Amino acid sequence: MSTATPLIAAHEWRRLAVQPFAWILAAVVVALMAWQFLLALEAFLELSPKLGSLKDAPGVTDLVAIPLLRSFSNLLMLIVPLVTMRAIAGDRRSHALPLLLSAGVGNARIVVGKYLGALGYVVLLIVLVAAMPLALKTGTWLDLGRIFTAMLGLVLFASALIAIGVLCSAWTSHPALAAASAFALTSLLAIVDAGARLKGIDNTGINYLALPTHIEPFFRGLVASVDVAYFLVVTAVALAFAARRLERLRSVAD
Amino acid sequence: MTLAPPLAILKNVGRTLAGREVVKGLDLEIRRGEVLGLLGVNGAGKSTTLRMLAGVLAPTSGTIKLDGKDLYENPGLARTAIGYLPEVPPLHEELTVEEYLDFCGRLHGLGAGIREAVDRVILRCQLAGVRRRLIGNLSKGFRQRVGIAQAIVHEPDLIVLDEPTAGLDPVQTRNMRGLVEGLSMGHAVVLSTHVLPDVLASCKRVAILNEGRLCYVADTALPYSEGTLARVRTVRGMQREDWPKLRIVTGAMPLDERDPRYWRVQLQPKLRIDALAAALVEHGFGVEELRGEQTPLEEIFMAIAAGEPPSVTA
Repeated sequence: MSTATPLIAAHEWRRLAVQPFAWILAAVVVALMAWQFLLALEAFLELSPKLGSLKDAPGVTDLVAIPLLRSFSNLLMLIVPLVTMRAIAGDRRSHALPLLLSAGVGNARIVVGKYLGALGYVVLLIVLVAAMPLALKTGTWLDLGRIFTAMLGLVLFASALIAIGVLCSAWTSHPALAAASAFALTSLLAIVDAGARLKGIDNTGINYLALPTHIEPFFRGLVASVDVAYFLVVTAVALAFAARRLERLRSVAD
Repeated sequence: MTLAPPLAILKNVGRTLAGREVVKGLDLEIRRGEVLGLLGVNGAGKSTTLRMLAGVLAPTSGTIKLDGKDLYENPGLARTAIGYLPEVPPLHEELTVEEYLDFCGRLHGLGAGIREAVDRVILRCQLAGVRRRLIGNLSKGFRQRVGIAQAIVHEPDLIVLDEPTAGLDPVQTRNMRGLVEGLSMGHAVVLSTHVLPDVLASCKRVAILNEGRLCYVADTALPYSEGTLARVRTVRGMQREDWPKLRIVTGAMPLDERDPRYWRVQLQPKLRIDALAAALVEHGFGVEELRGEQTPLEEIFMAIAAGEPPSVTA
């Protein structure tokens, strides 16, 4: 029984690997981020003679690596809904969901399997993107601790986005609608405190709800348990609702 | 001949969906080695019953036991002991037949023997020629076969098939019936269908559902609810009042007003026509010609659908 979740996750990986969609998406993401990386690197090289004369001047980690990973976090909000949109909605649309529902696998295990499958793919994208600034290690000094902390933040951030994506995918049988609703929901979580910030308020409950509040410390090299807990709670709550939704689908799945 | 003990026992099973009682007080037993056909008009509760049997849906009342164990207290049973083909086969079109069946086998708990199990089911369902083809490129008949293959790859005790011949052409339908019939060896098979010839061709027993209630269960070889009908020509002419003297006949109708020897009679439930022959000879009327007359299953089905349910017989 315990093997069902990794089996479903591995199967989701396999399904992604045999579809052109996942490869094209990965290629587009890597190309886009590589272009940004090269632009940032060129700008850094132009600036570096001037930076040399400054005390505590920002290095390549501050000016190339972290901005790249921060930019990637924004891109994740767009691509994660595309990765998760078919997780359950696609199976419903192709009438394949009863295969899992009749296999004696609990709703939570199915949902977690789908989540882990998508997480594996997105973590691979994070590693590919992070490999670009990490490649500079051969020629310059990098603050590896800060880069790995940012990567950890991205994984946690992606985890929350994927869980929300899986939840939206469980709510509708139309993958496009699932992607749109996941994008809308994560965008809402990203800008929920925009009004408060405009007024200079950045330490209230509404700020606490916003995604950027919790990802930004990781880019500064800080791992706070409150931020880790935030992403884990969002992930757990979204997956719990998705499992609940799956229970309801059992009565209508065909 | 002694009957095999029931593999699956449904006791007073009911299911409510969206506030409507879709299945009500269902009592049914399914034995290993038999194919049970579940008949009913649309909305009769067939698919809901099959979903409950397959472990997809829990009953809101009653119990379903498989080999004596409650299906919903032992969810692992659904994984290893039940195979389910829904109305639309649950296929992953982007995978090859082999890849898909490999996943289904593992999902149902197969480990080390998965390779052999997939090879076996590919042979059994005649999929060898398409084993490396993408499922999305297969014809309807092959897709249905892949659907059955996923339901039996782990050799389950109970196989649940929801309209396995739906949408198939006559040749595919005939092949599918053969496949379904073959499945009963060592397994119990429950299938739902609208197609009455499917039931007569593949099923040993038939159960008819109407408005969520079980209205009729009988062997397909003897689809009577109220007693055997027979046409008889006696040696001596008979009158209407002679029939009650035989004590085994519940009704008689002359078939030829000019010939008092030619009758259509209905026997008491569960009596065979040789009992009629014996009684006629015993009472001195003799038998010149005697032929059993089957009530067509379709007639029973239509009567139930029209709200005139016969009594449940088994």
